[in-house]
Amino acid sequence: MLHRRITQFFMIYFLGVGLLLALKYVLSLSDYVIPSPGEIWRTSRTYAGPYLLAVLNTLAVAVLGHIVSICLATAVAIIGRLTAWVGSFIRTAAFNIQAYPIVAVAPIIFILLGDGLASRLLIAAMICYFPLLLSFIGVFSEPVREIEHFYESTGRMTWRLQVKIRAFENVHKLTTVIVGSATMAMVGTIVAEFIAATAGIGYSIRVALYQSDLAKILVALFLIGIGTSLYLVSLEWVGNALQARLKRI
Amino acid sequence: MPLEGRHICFRYPNAAGEMFSDLNFRLSGPGFHALFGPSGVGKTTLAKMLTGAIRGFDGEIAANGVRRVLYTYNLERLPGWSNVRAHFEEIAPSAGRRRVDELIETFGIEANVASRFHRLSLGQQNRANLIRYLLQDFDLLIMDESLANVDELTREKIILKIKAMFPERGFLYISHNVAEVAKFCSQVLVLRSQSKTPQVVSVQGQDHREDAAPDPSRLERAMLEIVHAA
Repeated sequence: MLHRRITQFFMIYFLGVGLLLALKYVLSLSDYVIPSPGEIWRTSRTYAGPYLLAVLNTLAVAVLGHIVSICLATAVAIIGRLTAWVGSFIRTAAFNIQAYPIVAVAPIIFILLGDGLASRLLIAAMICYFPLLLSFIGVFSEPVREIEHFYESTGRMTWRLQVKIRAFENVHKLTTVIVGSATMAMVGTIVAEFIAATAGIGYSIRVALYQSDLAKILVALFLIGIGTSLYLVSLEWVGNALQARLKRI
Repeated sequence: MPLEGRHICFRYPNAAGEMFSDLNFRLSGPGFHALFGPSGVGKTTLAKMLTGAIRGFDGEIAANGVRRVLYTYNLERLPGWSNVRAHFEEIAPSAGRRRVDELIETFGIEANVASRFHRLSLGQQNRANLIRYLLQDFDLLIMDESLANVDELTREKIILKIKAMFPERGFLYISHNVAEVAKFCSQVLVLRSQSKTPQVVSVQGQDHREDAAPDPSRLERAMLEIVHAA
């Protein structure tokens, strides 16, 4: 799993860098616009350490934001499944809110909460919360009639049991959605850092942009790709282990 | 346990025609009865009316002494987080617990109760599902194709055991097997298409039990009556 993801990332990353270099040499662009391979290598040796720490900082915020959004989406979806109109209202509201680009809302968050951890965390959580919520509402609102019928007709059904049945029956779907939204959490955190934060790899990219230093940005992108791949692989591993455990006799 | 339906009229919302038009029936008492009829004639709809899952129909269903009606069908599944035996033990009321092993043995799934439900064959799944209903407290159990995919000999053994174990309770067995309902059921309610009047015809079945020898001529007569009525 890890090997596959890293290989896929390397292929895409080096293809992108290769295209940039091809463009540089075909159009005879200066090192100031697109740095030479030697310049990229020198930059990576100098900045790999601090950028790695910045990526870990970003990853920590993304993971935390992701966990917050999973917990929140689970709680709201469980409430939303209670009656048809509550579920419908939450679903419509979620559709409308997620239609707003987070970049447009982010300045309000930074004005209100400042450029510290809280803003980065909130934006990371917001960007992956609504897709999670829509999927979770779908899962928890959909009855599994062939299992629930017995409990309904014998008067044993409780909301906890209902949630347990629906979660168990859709564990593969839930795992896929959680893994998919992890990328969004990472993207959200980097966007937040890029806009106004004072830490994380997004902030480093912003500084590199002001310096017009594409080599630094390429190094940052490489480390972001590795960090995100590792996080996704960890989530997939947890999801697979959970599903295997549930299906074991 | 007299169970009586009087002048029942029902139409599904947006349906072209009525499902039931002045439908009348009477189940005289406890025992193993059948609801028989061609597909789409309304057997499941009538069963759901008896359980109260479908309301808002004209006419009435009078159920004297029938406190609790349960409905089970052959596509039900047990949850997958525990094995079959653990599920039985979890859902069996204290009064029904002593019957768990007896039912497991009669239903021929001793070798499978340590497995999870999805590992069982279709016939084993249907038997496991029926067992958990038999462990419950009920006055009338409606079994909608509950023994589908079970071989004939095992089906016979199961039905005879149910009749012997629960003589004071009512069963309404929904099946398309004429010979089976004619042989084992006390009363067969034949549900007919909307164009026929009356829509329900009651036929006396052979009500075969473990302690009585089957009567081939009576069985043949009951089968002919059922086929003729349908």
